[in-house]
Amino acid sequence: MNVLELSHVHKSFARTEGEDVTQALEDINFTVNDGEFLSIVGPSGCGKSTIMRLIAGLIFPTAGTITLNGEIIKGTDTERGMVFQKPTLFPWLTAEENLHFTARMQGRRKDSSYMAEAERLLEMAGLAEFRNDYPHQLSGGMAQRLALIRTMINNPKVFLLDEPLGALDAFTRMNMQDEILRLWQQSNHIVLMVTHDIDEAIYLGTRILVMAPRPGRVRADLKNDMPYPRVRTSDEFLQWRKRVLGMLDFGQKNTKEVSA
Amino acid sequence: MHKKSSGADVLSHLTRERLAELESRPRTPLRVFMDYVICFMPVIFGLLALAEYLYVPNLKGNKSTSTYTYFLAILIATAGMYFVMSFFSKKIFLVLRYKAPFYSFIFVLLAAYDYMTLKTGKLVLPYFTWTDEILNAIIDDRAYLLDCTINSLKLLFTGYLSGALLGIVTGVACGCSRNADYWISPFMKLLGAIPSPTWIPIVMVIASTLFSGAVFIIALGVWYSLTIATMTGIRNIDKSYYDAAKTLGASPLRLVLNVAVPFAVPNILQGLTQGMSTACLTLITAEMVGVESGLGWYVSWQRSWAQYGKMYAAIVVLCIVFIAVNWGLNAVKRRLLRWQEGMTE
Repeated sequence: MNVLELSHVHKSFARTEGEDVTQALEDINFTVNDGEFLSIVGPSGCGKSTIMRLIAGLIFPTAGTITLNGEIIKGTDTERGMVFQKPTLFPWLTAEENLHFTARMQGRRKDSSYMAEAERLLEMAGLAEFRNDYPHQLSGGMAQRLALIRTMINNPKVFLLDEPLGALDAFTRMNMQDEILRLWQQSNHIVLMVTHDIDEAIYLGTRILVMAPRPGRVRADLKNDMPYPRVRTSDEFLQWRKRVLGMLDFGQKNTKEVSA
Repeated sequence: MHKKSSGADVLSHLTRERLAELESRPRTPLRVFMDYVICFMPVIFGLLALAEYLYVPNLKGNKSTSTYTYFLAILIATAGMYFVMSFFSKKIFLVLRYKAPFYSFIFVLLAAYDYMTLKTGKLVLPYFTWTDEILNAIIDDRAYLLDCTINSLKLLFTGYLSGALLGIVTGVACGCSRNADYWISPFMKLLGAIPSPTWIPIVMVIASTLFSGAVFIIALGVWYSLTIATMTGIRNIDKSYYDAAKTLGASPLRLVLNVAVPFAVPNILQGLTQGMSTACLTLITAEMVGVESGLGWYVSWQRSWAQYGKMYAAIVVLCIVFIAVNWGLNAVKRRLLRWQEGMTE
């Protein structure tokens, strides 16, 4: 059983000019357990990506602690996989070599069980026949699927998705949402996904974290127990939409009564 | 040629060539005819150049042999062979159609030069010799020229390879480590302002052997080009590649070797090309000033005896050598940059 816990996390950044410091996150507290899919929504500037980068271990909190199974996160590790908004595929490697990159980095032997898993992932992502293509030859959706399976091959305990579908068109996006859902249901590990898209957050998450900007803080932590597969046009779904939209309302004064 | 084929099987067996053919606009019969005439042009101009050599009388006292006749004949035969092959291969046809005007122009230049030297003496002896003389000089002195070429290449590649290797290492260090950058960059700025041949007189005095001195100077220039190019390449890297690699389990050393260096390869190759031209320049200068072997030395030695025919012979060999070296370098470049193919389209 894996437990990810953020307690009293603050994060500030030095401005590029002058002595000023910007506070990006203020007192973030939440716990995520195995089998939970946490959608994080909020306007830009609310520090959603910063949370991801903190958990990944790419940056460190100014105050507070982040722990996975009781251990403080001290840097990057393959047990916490991350997929970025851009596919960040290495342009000099073919699709297949990109997939094997992480094995090469860890000096993992490419035995038959590893190769079988790689093959399964390539098939699943519909990339088997494009294995020898270079990233610039792949479409946006294919590139992002490759980025996903490149992280999945490590079978991470925590899967961090930083707006991975942000740059895709609506149709590719909806297909990818189903794929992500299927992957998560198979592994049943922790998934955290940052998104701008409220529909996406409701469609995927077992929990929805609504954030407010400047400084970034958690406005609400909502449990979403609609059964899967969720229907985007159902009344319940629309109710959820109303609720989350209300919480993100730009008339921020009346947020309290809405969130009740 | 431009049939709209409705059969699906035709479209399913498309090759790159066939695709270009299908999608290109139809050519008129006149256009097709003109294309083949243009492809035949080099042969016509070659024959004209040959006629000029054989039938225009020489200026009094100028002697000519049949070496140049053979030389032209070989060139014309090659042009003719490609013309015939262009009927069988679309690829050769396209290349020939593109290059033929320029090949024709080369024959014009050869004929014009021959006319101005051998036939009329407009360009005066002994400074200008006709092509026949130069070819004969190459053939007569071939053993010694080959020896000089080998010596030059030895010097060039010892200097070039050691300089390039060190340059890449320094560049990677400066690009990846602030500390290395702090200590090395100031020297780079200082040295960068000085063209490497400047060091020749100093190094020739200090160095234990002339060879090692020349190697050092050549390596210095190449080292500088490569350091700057590698450093620039690594600094331009999109930081998100580092982030991705880190979350995929890359250690700091791996980040350098498997992310930073591959990313900088296009820059490194550019530096290698630039370094090669610096190296060639430095090599010839060093050979002309101090080193007593090699093609550069041969050129200045023959000049001092007023043997201009032999001097040109060495210059021609130099050209061929440098063209071959650059061709090799470009082949390496294409191989290493396969992943960029079609990227800029």
